Amino acid sequence: MNKLLNKILINYPYFFAVILFAIGVATIVTRSNMFKKLLGLNIMESAVYLMFIAAGNIRGATEPIITDSNAGSTIINPLPSALMLTGIVVSVSVTAFALALILRMYKHYGTTDAILIAEMRDKNEKWGNK
Amino acid sequence: MMTTAISSNLPVFVVIAPFIVAFILPTISRRLRLVESLTLVLSILLVVGAGLLTHYVKAQDTATFYSMGGWTAPWGIELKIDSLSAFFVLVVAGVSLPVSMFSVANLSGEVGNSYRTTRFYVLYLILIGALAGIAFTNDMFNVFVLIEVATLSSCGLVSARNEPVAAHASFTYLILSTLGSTLVLGGIGLIYILTGHLNMRHVSAELAQVWQSSPHVVWMAISFFLVGFGVKTAIFPLHIWLPDAHSTAPSPASAILSGLAVKGFLLCLLKVLYNVFGHSIIFEFGIDRLLVLAGSIAIVAGSIFAIAQDELKRRLAYSTVAQMGYLFLGLGLMNTQGLKGALFYLASHAIIKSALFLTSGVIISTTGKKNVRDLAGVGRKMPLTMAVFTISSLGLIGIPLFSGFIGKWHLLLGGLETGNFISVLTIIAGSVLCAAYLLPVIRIAYFGSAPEESKGWKDPGLPQKTSLVLLAALILFLGVFPDPILELAGSAAVNLLSSG
Repeated sequence: MNKLLNKILINYPYFFAVILFAIGVATIVTRSNMFKKLLGLNIMESAVYLMFIAAGNIRGATEPIITDSNAGSTIINPLPSALMLTGIVVSVSVTAFALALILRMYKHYGTTDAILIAEMRDKNEKWGNK
Repeated sequence: MMTTAISSNLPVFVVIAPFIVAFILPTISRRLRLVESLTLVLSILLVVGAGLLTHYVKAQDTATFYSMGGWTAPWGIELKIDSLSAFFVLVVAGVSLPVSMFSVANLSGEVGNSYRTTRFYVLYLILIGALAGIAFTNDMFNVFVLIEVATLSSCGLVSARNEPVAAHASFTYLILSTLGSTLVLGGIGLIYILTGHLNMRHVSAELAQVWQSSPHVVWMAISFFLVGFGVKTAIFPLHIWLPDAHSTAPSPASAILSGLAVKGFLLCLLKVLYNVFGHSIIFEFGIDRLLVLAGSIAIVAGSIFAIAQDELKRRLAYSTVAQMGYLFLGLGLMNTQGLKGALFYLASHAIIKSALFLTSGVIISTTGKKNVRDLAGVGRKMPLTMAVFTISSLGLIGIPLFSGFIGKWHLLLGGLETGNFISVLTIIAGSVLCAAYLLPVIRIAYFGSAPEESKGWKDPGLPQKTSLVLLAALILFLGVFPDPILELAGSAAVNLLSSG
């Protein structure tokens, strides 16, 4: 038990990434409001970014810019940070597109609740006036 | 000089040509005819490029690696040109040509004015480019970027019709699909932490040495990949977004989404499972049995859901859920026969499902009837459309002389080889169930008495007719002369099973 606690304390960024990930998934699955679903998705993505960046970090190492003064010292791995820049760009475009869709639905249905919209759609299909 | 520059960089051109044309199109959106012909020319060029690549691959014994921008393997991004990628590019090019031809002078009715139609073509070409990229890529992070490009353009295509229903379907698809990509990214992260590489060759070499010391991380990564790609390929029960998305999209988009997009994600899963993890890890964790089980459940459940649908396009969408089950089943059989059958079935289903969605699109836009029970009289008023629908239905059921039969036959042989009789039974049961949901459509269309309003119904225009005939000819050709494609699929299967 003590050993496990120690492991968590040493690897705390990963521990927080797991918690964030769980929060994100739970929000997407349990909330019917589409804005909250989108927020949950963003939280979940942040958790993965955190995991990547934590993987690239080395405690006590300097930034990966080599000058005369830090030549030879340990530097952190810049690759995960560069990759996550791409990931953030992707998630921004997903968020923008999702917001546009929410706006279009709100104009027509007057709500941002996914369950209410599904009910309205069912009713329309039943009466055949799409 | 020019020709050598093109031929030695051919895979790159196949991937970036659709992107380049896609970004030119918005500047000429006033002239819709030019947009359409540019798309058509590009589709023909893609077929030529894919043919040349296949020719090149067949002459080669081993895979060729292309370093993007001259940066070599562990640092740069690598493209892998082997029989698997040539096969998939051939499928993408072969299906996108008839679909582009079908869209000529036909889209505005479903999508809207010329600006909206141009935007549709932009998204369509980006999707094609991303799928071609998925075929070649040999880099884990590149896989993530390409699946995100494919996902976003697919969502755009689903919402192309200016209807709130389309927005709702697209939103559901976007959220679930991005959830899937995030899981995949998590899996890639775990693999990167474990091995320090992103290039698939290096990852697999490193993973073979370290996986036994940390099996939990490998197990976590595999489950991330399985669930992530499972959502994207709509394997039952992760399919809930698919029927809505594929049935509300415009019909060329449904064809390309059901025919190609889900297969692109399946190809990623195939590459990750076989080229990265390799079969010792797959056997160790029992992934093969899991895939066969998931596939069998998907075949049965998807078909039963399809029988229950009365709306034609929804029925076809549920049928995609069932047919994806065959591909998963073939992936899980872990022998050359089964994998070859699954790859051939992938090509066959891509053509058949596109033909089915395009013909149903024609039927729906001409008659205005969405439900199967209202289709009486269509067979006599629209003979060509319904003939193509019948040929594709027989192909999907798996009647000999049609392409579906060859794929199912090799899957059956693969199932018998492993002695897994559940898979053999579900393959046969799937065919029967498939007949149960497709034959009633044909029966009503041909033998129902035509209503009064059917006087004006007729077959579509020349480009649409050509594209439908092309698809039907492909189905028959692959059914009678399957050897060239089957050989390519077979060599891809041998390569996949020998690696790792």
